[in-house]
Amino acid sequence: MPRWGMVIDVKRCIACWGCTIACKEEHFLPPRVFFNRVLIGETGKFPTSSKLIYPILCNHCTDAACVEACPTGATYIREDGIVVVDDDKCVGCRACLVSCPYQQRTYYDQKVKEREYYPGQGKTEMELIGEKLYPLKVGTVIKCNFCSERVDEGLKKGLTPGTDDVATPACVIACPVGARVFGDLSDPESEVSRLIMEKKGKQLRKEFGTEPAVYYID
Amino acid sequence: MKQQNELEKIMFHPTGSDLKPYEWMMRPTRQREWIDDKGIFLWLAFFFSEIGAGLYFVSLFYEYRAGIVLGWLITLILGGLIHVLYLGNPLRAWRMIMKPKTSELSRGIWIIGVFAALGFLQIITSGGFNMVFNCIMGILCLLIISHGFATMNVIRALPAWSSTMVLPLSLISGIWVGSQLLQMMFVLGGSSALASGMEVWSEAFFLIYLLCILLYVWGTFHANEIGKTSIDVQLNGELSKIFYAGVGGLGLVLPAVLTLIMWGGDTHGFLIFLRLVFVLAGDLAIRYTIMKSAVYKPLI
Repeated sequence: MPRWGMVIDVKRCIACWGCTIACKEEHFLPPRVFFNRVLIGETGKFPTSSKLIYPILCNHCTDAACVEACPTGATYIREDGIVVVDDDKCVGCRACLVSCPYQQRTYYDQKVKEREYYPGQGKTEMELIGEKLYPLKVGTVIKCNFCSERVDEGLKKGLTPGTDDVATPACVIACPVGARVFGDLSDPESEVSRLIMEKKGKQLRKEFGTEPAVYYID
Repeated sequence: MKQQNELEKIMFHPTGSDLKPYEWMMRPTRQREWIDDKGIFLWLAFFFSEIGAGLYFVSLFYEYRAGIVLGWLITLILGGLIHVLYLGNPLRAWRMIMKPKTSELSRGIWIIGVFAALGFLQIITSGGFNMVFNCIMGILCLLIISHGFATMNVIRALPAWSSTMVLPLSLISGIWVGSQLLQMMFVLGGSSALASGMEVWSEAFFLIYLLCILLYVWGTFHANEIGKTSIDVQLNGELSKIFYAGVGGLGLVLPAVLTLIMWGGDTHGFLIFLRLVFVLAGDLAIRYTIMKSAVYKPLI
């Protein structure tokens, strides 16, 4: 069984927010809800300061705090390592949301559902189509699922996630500079494993002890 | 112009703090889900569960049936009901019994269920106050008193909640508030001798409660940078007014003055009532500041 993971090259990232937008399109996310963000900061002091650009998303942790905290089993880790939320089981207690040290979850309530991209002008056709194609349940927690729909469909068709675009997460295929690589962490020959080994991939805030499946290289 | 302002409100953070999407978690970020908006229900639910179980616990020592009935009702009706109101899907609340092995919330639901059943048995049976039953109920009460803070305590990402002193503070405050409620019940029931006798509890628990708050503040401040930030928010930041007026004034100074006036068992019904009001307000304030001041470590 594969263990899906991602490697992000922060040196390649140009902070174009292509991943953020592709993700919002893929999941028809309402305003102010992000499964993918690009953080921009600084480190050091002039004249030796440097700019930090970190694309972040759910880390699909092996020892996920959200999974432990969920009282209903709605949040669980699939066999392939993807952390998902079963919205039929979610009671909306938000224990997972509070527990996540990376704060990569969003509570989807009526207020969020009613947000419009053009306030006061009603929902656009795109937003209405999104509600039908990708229905989110009110009163539940939503998050990045590594585009598991694409991965699962691709595997059914005999495609390889990370190699074939159709079976790869939207943020990876949208990246114009190839800063993101998706693949099987359990396969030592895979592109992600090779990059982690060769470039000494680091997990974000390893000290949280959650064993993220997203690695950063520079 | 109006439309542009509306758009800004939609796109940027609801607090109006000018936080842009790319600044998310770049600074210590406050947790909101369990205190802001509907999260206020959780604050009240933890409070009522705690004081109800506290009253039940102290009543066991006096085998005082009215106290355990009221404690049982407060815990289940006020505490339980408000808990359910907080949920996004209240009708699915039964599902929360599914994961007692890993989830503190799930364990809490089991404990409340057992407490409800055994408490009911103790209330309706005439021989309910035997030693074994009292011990079992006492342990269940202590677990319920600490349930709210225990749920918060396991969240490693928030040092203000995972502080070592959070659980002792919760236990002591539950028993302290419970004893105050029972003392008031004795006054109202005309048992002034029992109310005077209880003053020893009040003196002891007040001092331990004060010590727990001081140790919580000191311990969290010295735990790490993020813990320090949380305490800074409580003492010098946006929560300082609530901390000094609510926790310091209502929760500690005024009860201390009233305890000193009644020192040695020279109690007075009105003063006991006043102290109860202050203690309840102080307990709400300390819970609010702890829940509201918890912050996450920045990601980069």
